[in-house]
Amino acid sequence: MTELATRQLTKTYGERPALEALTLSIESGAKVALVGHNGSGKTTLMKMAAGLLDPTEGSVKIGRHDAGTQEARRLLSWLSDTPTFYDDLSLWEHLEFVARLHGVIDWQAHAEELLEQIGLTPRRDDIPTTFSRGLRQKAAITLAFIRPFKLMLVDEPFVGLDEPGKQALLRLFDAASQRGATMVIATHELSFVKQVGRLLALRDGALVYDGAPADTDVHALVLPQ
Amino acid sequence: MSDVTHPAQPVTEEALDVLYDLRRRRKRRRLGDIEWFDAAYRVYLVALFGGGTVLWISSSISDTDASAQAVANIAKNGPALLGMITALTFLAALRSGAQGGPLALEAPDVAFVMLSPVDRMRALLRPVTQRARSAASMGAAFGAIVGQLAGRRLPGTPVAWASSGAAFGISTALLWAGTALIAHAIRLPLWIATSLGLAGVAWQGAALSWHVAGPANSAGSLAMWGWRQHPIDLAVPLVAAVALFVGISLLQQTSLDALARRSSLVAQLRFAVTMQDLRTVILLRRQLNQEQTRGTPWIRVPRWISHPIARRGVASVARFPATRLVRMTVFAAMAGVFQAMAIRGTTPAIIGTALMLFVLGLEAMEPLSQEVDQPDRTDSLPIERGELLARHLLAPAIALIPFAAVAAAAAVAVLGTSRAIAPAAILALPTILAGAAGGVVSIVRDAPDPTKSTAQAFVPPEMAGISSAMRVGLPILVSALAAATVLLVRRAEQLGTSTIGAALRGAVGALLLTILVSYWVRRRDQWRRKFRQFMSDGQSYTKQQRSTPA
Repeated sequence: MTELATRQLTKTYGERPALEALTLSIESGAKVALVGHNGSGKTTLMKMAAGLLDPTEGSVKIGRHDAGTQEARRLLSWLSDTPTFYDDLSLWEHLEFVARLHGVIDWQAHAEELLEQIGLTPRRDDIPTTFSRGLRQKAAITLAFIRPFKLMLVDEPFVGLDEPGKQALLRLFDAASQRGATMVIATHELSFVKQVGRLLALRDGALVYDGAPADTDVHALVLPQ
Repeated sequence: MSDVTHPAQPVTEEALDVLYDLRRRRKRRRLGDIEWFDAAYRVYLVALFGGGTVLWISSSISDTDASAQAVANIAKNGPALLGMITALTFLAALRSGAQGGPLALEAPDVAFVMLSPVDRMRALLRPVTQRARSAASMGAAFGAIVGQLAGRRLPGTPVAWASSGAAFGISTALLWAGTALIAHAIRLPLWIATSLGLAGVAWQGAALSWHVAGPANSAGSLAMWGWRQHPIDLAVPLVAAVALFVGISLLQQTSLDALARRSSLVAQLRFAVTMQDLRTVILLRRQLNQEQTRGTPWIRVPRWISHPIARRGVASVARFPATRLVRMTVFAAMAGVFQAMAIRGTTPAIIGTALMLFVLGLEAMEPLSQEVDQPDRTDSLPIERGELLARHLLAPAIALIPFAAVAAAAAVAVLGTSRAIAPAAILALPTILAGAAGGVVSIVRDAPDPTKSTAQAFVPPEMAGISSAMRVGLPILVSALAAATVLLVRRAEQLGTSTIGAALRGAVGALLLTILVSYWVRRRDQWRRKFRQFMSDGQSYTKQQRSTPA
């Protein structure tokens, strides 16, 4: 079954194309890395899939549903590279809020486990807007994983993370993948690319590679033209 | 661990309960965090200055009944003239909706609530209600104040006029909210929104000029219910309510793209408003409207301009987008209209001129604003900050010349006499420059102060409220002084002396004010440094005296 499908997906800012007529599909349970130079269109693609950006042309489907619809939002978890938080809620209260918004009743045990894994247990009652860049990223990771999802879109997840944080995140990715979730991870961390089954490369808004990471020179793919 | 990869069934009701619960909790916390004494003090200041202004305007209008001719004129043109306000509001609403307005959520609300499977219409209902309610409150207050002023000279009681003014304000505000929501939901392209809105304004303008039926005449007529009642005018609040209802019913179509873009800007905007930082408010409003400087400048910087600061200034002004130039033209024309009104005897109109010139100054002084926004770069340059900032005034000052011509033309057109041409031509440029100097004062006062030490605070906390009021009031006072030069011409007209001579005296005064402000920009840091040194020496001396045994 296809979990994410785009058809002729196009985004332009003024006259500048950010993504050009992209058509692709990602099957359920796949673990996909998305690479490309700065400004290649990775974040634009992901934001359109998350329903945060209106396509100029074309469409995105999450499962069988149009991106941004209530059903699509139920299936998709979005981990942004620029986390935002309420400045009057603690991390624990954020976890409660997000979990319950998604209908998770028994959320406490899961939240405690996530905090333990990512190393944020001692900071659970602190306000995440006061955290450092790395800690904010960790807090955002816990919020992305506290809720149920079939597809997770992740944008630059390793930025600002220390080594234990990176390892914990990789373990969370693996666990979700093993349970059948589809993972699409946009990254500049080329060493991570070896761990995925499929690699997508964008250059100047166009898809220039779609295949196994072992079959290509990844470093060459991320160079701008 | 729960099975996170199998999403639960839709949970709209429960999710909404969670959302409502969170909002209640946050509201309780916000209320708990309020410094009530500080809030009361702010309310006191607003009441003092706001109430004082209303009373002053009120007392500037005599209680004598308007002449029969004036009453007839108002009966004939009033609905179309007041309807123009509604037509302009309609234009603003269409443009706001096309640019992603009128809603603005907090960034985390977009990230967590809007991306969760809650019913978006119900989640957005409260922000929409708050937006419509605040707009209606402002409309009601403004309409009631203007209505009661009208009621002092026109047939009908002030109370009846205040009520009809409030009804007009509320209807116009709700029409704005509803129209903007609809334009947003249907993703109305900006050029269509602008064309539609301008068509409405043009039609209403035709109604005003040639007395044909205008689209917003009934709205204007509603404002005059304090005097006479036309039942058909009741359709206006009905139309406004329907527009709002349709807008709300389309909330599911709200663009997250626009909400996400606006959320961060609006948070900054609110902060800037709280800090009375008018320059940042204008800057952020430009960003909200997605107004960007031109990629290709209108003109290339001429080679003969060799000084780097002058070249930088011309390059900046040459990239002003067309929308900003149109806006500046409107401000200049409005300033001219207000000056003409002041000449005709409506003294409070100079406040309108002052506000127009102040905003015009903020718009024009882009090179100065950009410099102020980059304090680290400024401090790294081998030139004294005051001199650098003062040199940034030249290019915008030259750019204001055509706007002075616009203002003069508007004033002459309103006054409708060739005798006004010479005084307008003499006064326009000095008044525009001195009025824009108010904007300069605002920009420079808001700049980070390199001479200030965090350890030094010579202003006692009790003076903070006054300082806050000065921060907003002083720049507008400078613009008002510039605008007041027109009163010299009015006085000369009343006394039958030379209006050209009076205009020349006014022009000299305005130019002196401009030079004074430029000199202040140039020397401000030095003066502040000397003052701080003086105060610091005084403190050291006092400390030394106290520690010396008698």
